[in-house]
Amino acid sequence: MKFLFQFFSSLKLTVVLLSFSLVLIFFGTLDQVQYGIWHTQELYFESFLVVWTFPEHAPLGQHLHWIRIPMPGGYLLGGMLLINLLAAHFTRFKMSWMKCGIFLIHSGLILLLISELMTDILAVESQMPVDEGGTSNYSQGFRENELVFIDRSHPEHDSVHTIPASLLKPGKRIDVPNTPLSIRTVRYHGNAEIGRATSGSPAESIATRGAAVRMGIIVNPKPETYSEDEINTVTAFVEVIKGEDSLGTWLVSNVMDERFPPQMVDAGDRSFEIALRFTRHYYPFEIELIDFKHEKYPGTEVPFNFSSEVKVTHQDSTKNQKALIYMNHPLRYEGLTFFQASFANQDKTSIFQVVRNPGWLLPYLSVLLMGLGMCVQFGMHFFKFLRKQRG
Amino acid sequence: MRQTAPIVKSIHSATVLERRLRVYCLSVVCLLGLVGCEQAEPTSYLIPKEDRAVTMPTPVADSAETKASAPTNGSMRILPGMQAAADEAGGVTYTVPEGWEDLPASGIRKANLKVSDENGTAELTVLVFPGDVGGRLANINRWRGQLGLDDATPEDLSKFTESYSISQHPGLYVRLEGEAQSILGGLLPFHGSTWFFKFLGSSGTVLGNEAKMKAFLDSVQLEDSHH
Repeated sequence: MKFLFQFFSSLKLTVVLLSFSLVLIFFGTLDQVQYGIWHTQELYFESFLVVWTFPEHAPLGQHLHWIRIPMPGGYLLGGMLLINLLAAHFTRFKMSWMKCGIFLIHSGLILLLISELMTDILAVESQMPVDEGGTSNYSQGFRENELVFIDRSHPEHDSVHTIPASLLKPGKRIDVPNTPLSIRTVRYHGNAEIGRATSGSPAESIATRGAAVRMGIIVNPKPETYSEDEINTVTAFVEVIKGEDSLGTWLVSNVMDERFPPQMVDAGDRSFEIALRFTRHYYPFEIELIDFKHEKYPGTEVPFNFSSEVKVTHQDSTKNQKALIYMNHPLRYEGLTFFQASFANQDKTSIFQVVRNPGWLLPYLSVLLMGLGMCVQFGMHFFKFLRKQRG
Repeated sequence: MRQTAPIVKSIHSATVLERRLRVYCLSVVCLLGLVGCEQAEPTSYLIPKEDRAVTMPTPVADSAETKASAPTNGSMRILPGMQAAADEAGGVTYTVPEGWEDLPASGIRKANLKVSDENGTAELTVLVFPGDVGGRLANINRWRGQLGLDDATPEDLSKFTESYSISQHPGLYVRLEGEAQSILGGLLPFHGSTWFFKFLGSSGTVLGNEAKMKAFLDSVQLEDSHH
């Protein structure tokens, strides 16, 4: 026990962990070239262990592609640093007025590590495109997908039953919540090219119902893309089961969106629309885009400012409000932050980045604590020095 | 007594030390445990009635500007074969009825018109899809479903449809009256594709504009490269 405690509280461990962090950031940055920022973040910083592979397309890549370097991932290093800091604090530190600056700095650092973990786990990012004059009450993710069953039979509301696409593993049977149905994934492609079978090409498909059969749609799997401006066409063949009876196999894909006739699953007394789409987050309020402005520097196409005037209509009308969203001036509303992210459609559509991060205040607080701690610590040394000079 | 005091103190500090250590370790384990709870789960929820045709945002990926300046919004993409089929299908010309607003066509929407009056708003969309898209009855039942009406049987069809000539070709005129919303529509099989003219919105607006909708259908001319 004592040995463990010594090990975890040792300053040597801190140095080793910080050095590994440097190495991790270095190789993570290298891999960002081929994997893009999101995937690299998952591989290197939201993991316990990572193995770096010499990139095939780098100079000498064909000869050195066998090189593999394993290293600790972000969670392992962050967790160890946290334990190390707490243990060191606990063994060496005695609370006194002279040390309160260091105490503040350490608390800030601990809070920063915790807030980073909270952001990783709890933060959700999505996008909300709204047309001028139009409204929207949901935003959608741009990487995560979901399989949905929608019952539109009720005159007042629609009921939506979702299964995250990350659970669609071939062969696995999953119950569709609050419906008599369950599904079994027959085939799942993280990215694919889908199109209509032309005469001469093999039109073989495992789908037995829905659009794939009606329109002769075929699927060609493709490697997943990690590029930031490309999107994976997530595609799956899903068998729908009621009780023990199979109702058929449908082809669903996130490119077969709302402009296509809905694919229906008839489950006897109820019928459901089935679709695979980007994960949606619905809100109890609507955002209406009143006006979108895109100003450019005179005589150029360089944007000078873009801003969206919006009106928020909440189910609880006391929460209604108007706002102007522009660069560095997001709308914070109901625990969400709406940033002006982009625009489209000849400046008629504004796209907001919607971020839910319950821990967004923590980094500010931690920086404040550390700043205050430094002021106190250095201030005390400074006054001590002044007193000595006078003496 | 003097000798026992320090021993008691050290025992005391040892237990405090252990207790604190346990609290620290436990909190770290809890934090790391949270990491494992990321997996999303199946859920279900209710949303206000969605009118897919009207609330649907305009396709984002069509704009070249978006590609250059923004992460493209994936759900707006079009199935490659569909866009090709829509492009192949040729153009459409029509006369905009008085008081209606002609919005720009986008993506696979061949035309897009809007009308507002004291009863509400309605939107007319013109779409073309390859094949028969499941057949006449399936398409009409899909529209009925959007209005909250029960599916119709083949025998019922004559109650709310009539033959109608669109662009000098035999088509179908559909009249679906719902409680809050209604649809007036035209269906036209045309050289292996099916054209959909759907006028959907508040019942008052849609039914009040029926004469204009028919005048619109009469004015429609499809580009015909097959003759």
